[in-house]
Amino acid sequence: MNRTRMTGLVLLWLLLLPRCMQDEDLWQFDRLNTSLAQEGVFVINEGNFTYGNASVSFYDPATGEVLNDVFYQTNALPLGDVAFSMTLSDSLGYVVVNNSGRIYVMNTSTFRYTGKITGLTSPRYMHIISDEKAYVTDLYTRAVTVVNPKTLEVTGSIDVSNGDTRFNQHTTEQMVQYDRYVFTNCWSYDNKILVIDTDRDEITDSISVLKQPNSLVLDRQHNLWILCDGGYEGSPYGSEEGGLMVVPAGKREARLVCRFAPGESPSGLTTDGSREFLYFLNGGVYRMSIYRDTVPELLVDGPENPFGMGFYGLTVDPSSSEIYVSDAIDFVQRGLVYRFDPGGVPLDTFRAGIVPRSFCFKPARAL
Amino acid sequence: MHRLRIICFLLAGSLARDAIAIIPGDTVIAIEQVEVAATGIFDRETAGMKQQRVDSTVLLEKIQRSLSDVLSENSTVFIKNYGRGALATASFRGTAASHTGVIWNGMSISSPMAGMVDFSLIPVYIIDELTMNHGPSSLLYKGGGLGGSISLENVPEWSRGFGAEYIQGIGSYGTFDEYLKLGAGNRKLRSTTRLYHNYSKNDFTFVNTAIGNLDPLTGEVTHPLDTNQNAVILRYGLLQELYFRPGENHLVSLVYWGQFADRTLPSPSSYEGPSNANLNNQTDADHRVVLSWKYYYGKGRFLLRSGYAHKELEYLQLNRIPGLGEVPSIFSVSRQNSLSGTASYTWEPVAGLTMEGKLDINMHGVESMDTISGAGYDRSRNEMAFLGRVSKSLGSRLNLNLMMRQEWVEGKRLPVMPFFGADLKIADHPELVLKANISRNYRYPSVNELYWVPGGNPELLPEEGISMEAGLECRETFGTHSLKTGLTAYRTDVRNWILWLPSVWGFWEPFNIERVLSRGMEAEATYRWHPGNFDLRVAGTYAYTRSENRGESSILGNDSFGKQLVYIPVHSGNLMLRVAWKKIYAVYQYNAYSERFTTSSNDPTRRDWLYPYFMNDLSFGAIFSIGDAELSAGLKIFNLLNESYYSVLYRPMPGRNYHFVIGIRL
Repeated sequence: MNRTRMTGLVLLWLLLLPRCMQDEDLWQFDRLNTSLAQEGVFVINEGNFTYGNASVSFYDPATGEVLNDVFYQTNALPLGDVAFSMTLSDSLGYVVVNNSGRIYVMNTSTFRYTGKITGLTSPRYMHIISDEKAYVTDLYTRAVTVVNPKTLEVTGSIDVSNGDTRFNQHTTEQMVQYDRYVFTNCWSYDNKILVIDTDRDEITDSISVLKQPNSLVLDRQHNLWILCDGGYEGSPYGSEEGGLMVVPAGKREARLVCRFAPGESPSGLTTDGSREFLYFLNGGVYRMSIYRDTVPELLVDGPENPFGMGFYGLTVDPSSSEIYVSDAIDFVQRGLVYRFDPGGVPLDTFRAGIVPRSFCFKPARAL
Repeated sequence: MHRLRIICFLLAGSLARDAIAIIPGDTVIAIEQVEVAATGIFDRETAGMKQQRVDSTVLLEKIQRSLSDVLSENSTVFIKNYGRGALATASFRGTAASHTGVIWNGMSISSPMAGMVDFSLIPVYIIDELTMNHGPSSLLYKGGGLGGSISLENVPEWSRGFGAEYIQGIGSYGTFDEYLKLGAGNRKLRSTTRLYHNYSKNDFTFVNTAIGNLDPLTGEVTHPLDTNQNAVILRYGLLQELYFRPGENHLVSLVYWGQFADRTLPSPSSYEGPSNANLNNQTDADHRVVLSWKYYYGKGRFLLRSGYAHKELEYLQLNRIPGLGEVPSIFSVSRQNSLSGTASYTWEPVAGLTMEGKLDINMHGVESMDTISGAGYDRSRNEMAFLGRVSKSLGSRLNLNLMMRQEWVEGKRLPVMPFFGADLKIADHPELVLKANISRNYRYPSVNELYWVPGGNPELLPEEGISMEAGLECRETFGTHSLKTGLTAYRTDVRNWILWLPSVWGFWEPFNIERVLSRGMEAEATYRWHPGNFDLRVAGTYAYTRSENRGESSILGNDSFGKQLVYIPVHSGNLMLRVAWKKIYAVYQYNAYSERFTTSSNDPTRRDWLYPYFMNDLSFGAIFSIGDAELSAGLKIFNLLNESYYSVLYRPMPGRNYHFVIGIRL
């Protein structure tokens, strides 16, 4: 091989090698353009922490049709990092994106991005009080943030700190409202239910419960039910057996209803449309009447797989009382959602996004 | 003939370097001249093993950079890089970061706590020789390197008297680095001191596609131009080497490496919380020291080595909350202390036979605590390992190598780790050698995997790897041209692969649930043409890696069976081209990976997918001599084509950037 030929070959190689990376593929594609009037279920897929791969899926129970990643597919905009929950207000859906410190707002029929609430430290849940006021709970700020869902501005905050630096108390999670009082559970290394007066935007009371209350609901008689996981063994905060507790309507004291075995970690307390039955996860799906004429009964067996934990998310359709549970499988692939009738008979299975956990029901509406 | 034998000895790899130390000075100079040829390809003591040495010109060219850069650009090791200056982990042959061992001057520096190494914290400044031990060849040094191991060595420059070197770098994004090396000594005693300091504000700008703003007029989504905030990198350290040759056949060395690194890690690019929230900071303070004595007599070589490593890692995450001030949400502090001892005896009773017995004892203490929640642990771990090795030459064309490694960890005996390798010389001109091996390897879970609070799983079993490989290596010099090539195919079957999964309690917990079958090919080629004043070097590597999840296929809905592991590219390759004429040089560096998946099911969803990576860098410079001093100046251009890209999901990387370097050498 002579020198010229070799130089030529090297040059050719150099010309062929450099190629451009396809970064623009992430936003240049045919977008989803739809307008769905029918009712349906939004599945909020957390995604993996720091991966920024959270998503929202939309499922139509009437047809069994599923649209995945509707927010990104419609807006060419990734939802963010760890989508925690979604709250509806009229035609708008507020998706709380925990590790992105924001709430994205979208139209629930077109999935169009319509705005955002930013400046939130580690938001968890949003609870709408009026057209112009909503509360956002937070893992780190030791405050409940007050926002205006209309102007999408942060308008204030409610200090919930107990002054103790150890364990970073109080973190706030889910919210339910009875009359003008909002109840929120403090889960992480904590054992309190805080009571917030929505007229004054301040804490007026707190209720002591078992360790680590992770979910709470109000039944049709306005009793407050609280599910506590008891904390993990070896926790510096201490641990105990988990339990289901109830705060009778108008009272500020919790009574123990039932206790779980050591090593069990119940979660996901919810109610059906009638608000006469309680549902929760403890490996499988359990159901219990609020009248306590029965003990919790196992309705659906948990998935049998070596990936740890059984079902990840649970909800019950408020209109049909059908049960939806999610299985995150290995947590790094798109998870499954199973749908059962109120008696636990399987109806459908569909694949949602990565780590599906919470759900949000969209009522039918005129466009 | 004498010289030839010395050269062969030199080429033999790590043990050969000991030989240099005892050879009188004039031959050393001769040896340094043949150094270009790098490692030998037919040697009894490493028969069947694949060891690749990174060329010293590469280390020199990339002296201000991190080991992670050199590995990704000049070897088949895949580096997962979490951002400029941020955590970088290494994967060999499609295995996990914890399957890559790192040996520094004979001592393992993998964190006993995490079981892995952050390669962005190892500067090239401190490395004289860099060797990759692919796959089971790592068993020579340590068990558990299911993918392989990386050896970093320091070597004395006996032939140099007093020497001084200073390099100053100034780069984009407020990057400054300083490096000073001082060496002095005679043929008996030598000291080398290296001091370095790297700082980068790291405040590059990027179009943030993870944040969408609505244009109030058009309703269109726009993306802000953001700055990579809170991403400062600071790293400084000292490497002190002392070598002493009391007699012709003794070598005593004492090497100390201390380093402090302080980094803040940017929030996810999608973060739109308050600017005073989600702040964090990580400091890594390391002290490592190794004392060794090598004694050569007659037919034997004796080695005694003792090492100590201390690591202190602090991770702080805080939010500034009005009315409350700075509120830390995580403040995790860990301290790791390791003491290690090695005794080895190598004996050549007759020509063509080498036997070695080696005993390693390590003691680790790990303390880790999150001072906010109070969760933590304090554990100690003792390890003992015995290695027996017999290497035999059968005639002049066949070398056989048998090793048996036995390890005990925390009083538990691991199964025996055997290795059998062979080299067959097929031809002399060009020198063509067939290499093959078969082995079994075990990795005992790291302290975190067993005891982390919350989530450590004390029931974990060691990961087991059974592997085999075969390859060809070829080397030839013809006139002013020299060529070295290698091609290897391997198969590694790892069982009880450890995977972290969330538990019902909300924290993550490791389980022995996967089986991973990794198969692939590695090809390397280096070519040099050096007629007179002109010097052309071309070096490239290519790896084909099929690393498949072969765990449970029966799980309902599990789509991961048979799929490529996350973040492992099937194709990866790089090319370096260096052209020099007299004292002027230019280096072109190209690096590419095929797509990487971030889901175990290899979901093709655009958003969860990392598109193929193609990176071009260019550098050029010149060296001038003024009297005894040698001055150098160079400019490096990184990301030549100004690509905007991610190498990990939503961790933006910088566009085209520059680094200017000047140096002086006495």
